[in-house]
Amino acid sequence: MLKGAIAIFKRDFKKFLGNPFVIIFTLLMPIMYLVIFGNAMGGSITHVPLAVVQEEPYIDNPLLYSASVESLKHMAQKDYPPTFDVRVYTDELKAKRALQGGQVSGVVVFPSPDFPDRAIRLYVDSSDYVTPTMIESGVNAALVQSGFSTRVELNKIYGDIRYIQFFGVGVIVMAIFMTTMMGGGIALIKDREMGIIEGYLVTPVKRSSIIMGMIASGTVRAFLSGFIIFIVDLLITGIIIQSTEDFMLVLLVLFITCIGITSFMVSMASRFSNQQEYASMSAFFNLILFMTSGAFYPVIGMPDWLRWITVINPEYYAVHALRSIILRGQGIEVIGMDLIALSIFSIAAILLGIFTYRRTLE
Amino acid sequence: MSTPADYSGEKRDARLHPQNSNSCSPEECVIRIEHLSKTFQDKQRTVKAVDDVTFDVKRGEIFGLLGPNGAGKSTLIRILTTLLAPTSGTAFIDRYEITKDPEKIRGIIGVCPQNSTLDTELTAYDNLEFYGKLEDVDDRILPDRIGELLHMTGLTDRAHMKVQTFSGGMKRKLEIVRAFIHKPLILFLDEPTIGLDPESRREVWQQIETLNRENTTIILTTHYMDEAEKLCGRIAFVDRGRLISLDTMDNLRLLLPAGDLIEIGFEHMDERVLDALIKHPLVLSATVKEQQIHISARSGNTVLPAIVAIFDRFSVPLTAIAIRSPSLEDVFIYLTGKNLSGDDGGSDNIPGSGGAGETPGLGARGRS
Repeated sequence: MLKGAIAIFKRDFKKFLGNPFVIIFTLLMPIMYLVIFGNAMGGSITHVPLAVVQEEPYIDNPLLYSASVESLKHMAQKDYPPTFDVRVYTDELKAKRALQGGQVSGVVVFPSPDFPDRAIRLYVDSSDYVTPTMIESGVNAALVQSGFSTRVELNKIYGDIRYIQFFGVGVIVMAIFMTTMMGGGIALIKDREMGIIEGYLVTPVKRSSIIMGMIASGTVRAFLSGFIIFIVDLLITGIIIQSTEDFMLVLLVLFITCIGITSFMVSMASRFSNQQEYASMSAFFNLILFMTSGAFYPVIGMPDWLRWITVINPEYYAVHALRSIILRGQGIEVIGMDLIALSIFSIAAILLGIFTYRRTLE
Repeated sequence: MSTPADYSGEKRDARLHPQNSNSCSPEECVIRIEHLSKTFQDKQRTVKAVDDVTFDVKRGEIFGLLGPNGAGKSTLIRILTTLLAPTSGTAFIDRYEITKDPEKIRGIIGVCPQNSTLDTELTAYDNLEFYGKLEDVDDRILPDRIGELLHMTGLTDRAHMKVQTFSGGMKRKLEIVRAFIHKPLILFLDEPTIGLDPESRREVWQQIETLNRENTTIILTTHYMDEAEKLCGRIAFVDRGRLISLDTMDNLRLLLPAGDLIEIGFEHMDERVLDALIKHPLVLSATVKEQQIHISARSGNTVLPAIVAIFDRFSVPLTAIAIRSPSLEDVFIYLTGKNLSGDDGGSDNIPGSGGAGETPGLGARGRS
């Protein structure tokens, strides 16, 4: 019995050592978890863009305004850069527009000294999970510091949004990625592993046809699962989509996201000939893309070097676009950029897939 | 079977190129291979899988590529079917060069690779349909064509069953007809009957002959001699990447010392028997090897009683008698000094030699 067990052990271990790629990626995974989770979730959020406005009639540097702003500007956790990037607006409307467009996370409107009874009005982007509480406590602390006891009136511009609603949108994107991981490229690799590929490489089928065909089937599958999770998400989190237009817009975003992520996975798969290698690689990308997409935690909490990954991360654009529509009820004018980014990514991935696909057996 | 290497070495080139290969016109020759080589390299070693091979295949013939495992047959086929790029040299399929017009070539060839490439998760019908589409068969005729092919293989009633439920023979037949779905100009069959039982092999052979009658040139690789003997018009021997010989079966037989081979087993040899045998007018040669004597003789069937009589006369008991015409296997051993399973040395009891003309009754090798 022991002899058999040792033989099985040796065989398995030889295979394990014979595949350095898998070893590297299995080790890389927890390290990436450490770095990304550690930095993104536990890290201190700094440089939160915050608009400050002095209410009309405008008087130069009233005490409440100048003291509070000064205090907000210098507010920081020990050994960290300032918590807020304070931006001074002269027009309340402009500040609010910046808030809606996502350029700032909150607006603080200080009352005019002529009306000392008025409260400080605080507008926060409630579709964001972390910054509203930070801004609220920041403003309160600034008031305490400068010795004022003015009332603070909190306005959540998108109403109350619970974490599950915030996170639910990310899960839709996760569903898409999971499906492409299981389906997407794996059929290509299976064909190669089983030798089926030799059968159709001798036919006149073009490599672009092979890649496009794989992407098409993967996209449909990913879209179906994304759609199902979207509906489930609505039911569980109790979000109500405001109009048919918004609903159709969500489907459009889902579809383009599916093309983008599927193309990416297929183009990766076009070079692999081993399912294990592909699986560890796609799990690795799944982690990076999902963690940096902002699905769990706002992108603003990530260190700068991690944040630049979001620039080329299709899931970031997908999450942003879906949140804009589902949580904020915004339309094409806000998500247009996301759609363009996703399309560019998709086209690049498709081309990469076609040009790296090996049309011969070597 | 003495010193085969010397003989073949001298005359090899003359046999390879009966006429200058460059003179073969595209009308006459559907494949022209010119100094084709393929080298595989990895960290440990360099392998020349195909080594400066030059030959032509005529339109409409069944052409056999024969050689032991690892001789380079499959590599050669893969180069010709555009799956691998040659290291040097080139080849023309019809009017197209393999490295310049691979797309055109893929449209006129049908390939049945050595290892199964059927999608076993799909049904027989789906497999054929998939290929039909990839081969750009007109959608209007495709269903009929699939029906026809299924009928040809006797798989009509299993059309909508998954291929993974099929027997080895059924899969093989399905794969061969699949390669033929677009009526290609050339059909490459890489070891079409490997691992099949005799019944299935015969069926596959029949199918190949049927396909050949439809003006398709067939290139067949095999290491079964009987298969090549039965099907192929011309045969190329390949060993260690090199082309050793190329000719028709009849001409290849002429390479051997003439006559039939008679093998007689005995326990004690008497010198007088050997003398008497050699003096017999029809006996060409006789050599003793351990407990056996190998006699080559003209019309072995007629001379055999006389040989037995000689043994009787000197009271030398026989333990076994076998008589056969020289087979391809013998030609191969003669040319390379080894048999087709890749072992060195001319073992006498060659499995699967097909024994063309092994006389029943006498062939009982009862060495009790």
